Amino acid sequence: MRIDFALIGHQESWRAAADVLAVLRGPEHTPLPDEEIKDILPWIPPRAVCHVEVGSTVHAKAHGLYIDSFIPPDHLEAIYVHDNLARVRAAAACAINAGAKIVSLGGFSSILIEGNFDQLPARRDTAFTTGNTLTVAFIVRGIKKMCAREGRDLRASTLMIVGATGDVGSGCARCLAPLVKRVLLNARKLEPLRRLAAELQNDGVQVEIATGQQEFSAEADLVICAASLASPSLLLGRLAPGAIICDAGYPKNLAPNAQMPGAKIFFGGLGQLTGGMKFTPDFHGILNRHPFPDVVHGCLLEGMALALERRFEPFSQGRGNITPQRVEEIESIAARHGIRLAPLYNFDGPLETGFDEETELEFGRTELSPHSDLQQHGVLHRRHVGPGQASDFVLQSVL
Amino acid sequence: MATLTTITGSTSQCISLSLNAPIWQDVLAQAITGEFLAAMNYNSLSEICTDPEEVADALEHAAIERGHAARFAAEGRKIGVDASNNVEAKHWKRLREAFLRCIAERDFIGCLIVQEIMLESFAVASYARVGKVAPGSLGQTFAAIAAEEEEHVDHAMSILRAERALDAHRFDDKVYRLHLDVMTTLAKMLAKECKDGHCEVCHESCVKPALFDVSLSAAELRGASLQHYLRTLDLLGIPGEITLAWVAQLPV
Repeated sequence: MRIDFALIGHQESWRAAADVLAVLRGPEHTPLPDEEIKDILPWIPPRAVCHVEVGSTVHAKAHGLYIDSFIPPDHLEAIYVHDNLARVRAAAACAINAGAKIVSLGGFSSILIEGNFDQLPARRDTAFTTGNTLTVAFIVRGIKKMCAREGRDLRASTLMIVGATGDVGSGCARCLAPLVKRVLLNARKLEPLRRLAAELQNDGVQVEIATGQQEFSAEADLVICAASLASPSLLLGRLAPGAIICDAGYPKNLAPNAQMPGAKIFFGGLGQLTGGMKFTPDFHGILNRHPFPDVVHGCLLEGMALALERRFEPFSQGRGNITPQRVEEIESIAARHGIRLAPLYNFDGPLETGFDEETELEFGRTELSPHSDLQQHGVLHRRHVGPGQASDFVLQSVL
Repeated sequence: MATLTTITGSTSQCISLSLNAPIWQDVLAQAITGEFLAAMNYNSLSEICTDPEEVADALEHAAIERGHAARFAAEGRKIGVDASNNVEAKHWKRLREAFLRCIAERDFIGCLIVQEIMLESFAVASYARVGKVAPGSLGQTFAAIAAEEEEHVDHAMSILRAERALDAHRFDDKVYRLHLDVMTTLAKMLAKECKDGHCEVCHESCVKPALFDVSLSAAELRGASLQHYLRTLDLLGIPGEITLAWVAQLPV
């Protein structure tokens, strides 16, 4: 079978890992107890979990594999880096052996590779992409959409980016800094912060940098959380009342019980396939645990979009070089195939309905082809959903 | 100083071995039983081989496995325990019966799959883990035998890969049928607790809860064995997403 793309990922929680194993065991077997899952999962070698077929609104189709590195959800800390890197390399080898033409490095996979693709196994016909450019595109678009929904003036806003010197954080800074009043860049290391600030200041942007958020002179009314954290443990400081916060982490940067009264939080970097997506075996709602159908992280969608476009190239190389031009380019490719910003949601559920006229207009009409194979096989899940219905979808999928 | 360290190390090994002798006795008993079973399987295999070279190979393997059993028994004697075997113990007996069904069908490939892919995965992975923690010559013996077992899998792998190249679908179906039979039994043996009662190999109560005292655990031995099995199936070329589901469906 032709494999156009491969998606390398890992589960962000033991609950998610348990659900994956439950699908693999099938309904005729009782689900594994939690303690057995914690004993078994670390021993599973990286491997394909399912086939993924995606459709495009311009009748293109691409066939791929989801490969799980089986990094245990509680092994994302630095002390496990060697083991995790070995898992990503083994997952990459699976993708190469399967003949994938392009591979997206999801979640921590690209963080572990740190832009050094030479760490991946030798390959001839397989391109790797971190997928971060499309992630940045969806974060930026999400921020703009949320500002419009809340009646905020982007140009009057102070934007704080946490994890600002990372690939995603710096890409967001380059795209949004020219559009806001002031940018506050926060990261752990001062020197990369200085370099990024100098770059932005050359373009006339008002920039502050700090390794601690309390050091900033102003409060932020827009925040992008793009830190590479092993668990949702980020505490935000210097927030303006009612700040809009985009959590773009995988795992999430913010804990569900983070005390930020009045803050408008949404999960960023997510896109939605309107041309349909089919998992074999059926992992809908398990591998993509979102309250809307066919929503996928931007980093993985980038590989799918490039496969649909037949552009098998290392589009994002993870070296902090994401530019507004490249963001625009990947966004156009994605839009051409009906891949658009996902409806916004957060811990509490959807912030909007599943169908957005404004987004539709921006991306152009994305009607499905009546001749689409995926549609004929009844695997398209696009539908208009309200907040209540979307919650039902999650329950149906997960249970 | 080097001499002192050696003496001190050796003394602590002796204390550790004598304290934990009942645990090693049971670990050795399982290993010896497995080796005798393997020897019996290779003897049976020799009876259905038509090629004289294959007959000689099978008999040679049987002799090697008996040699392994003898080396394990000798390690038991060194620590003052009688590590006997019981190939009639319920799980081992079921494994032997599964192999004999392949013999009855004169299914040479099936025999290789059961012995070399399934039983040897269990042996290689668990011996290697024991080899890392068992003190002195006991550990060295486990590690050495793990390496020897791994070596002789190579020949079988080339035969099996060639067989799969002829008809992958049929081959994978056969592996799956045997997996259901053999790996289900092995999974029960490898479970963290023996839910079906006494295994009939351990001398007294089940050794599994005591494995922590020698820096081992049943979960670790199971994990390492299933990981080795999955990797061996990968080397045969069976798609990873298929073998993952097979293993995920095993009893725990």
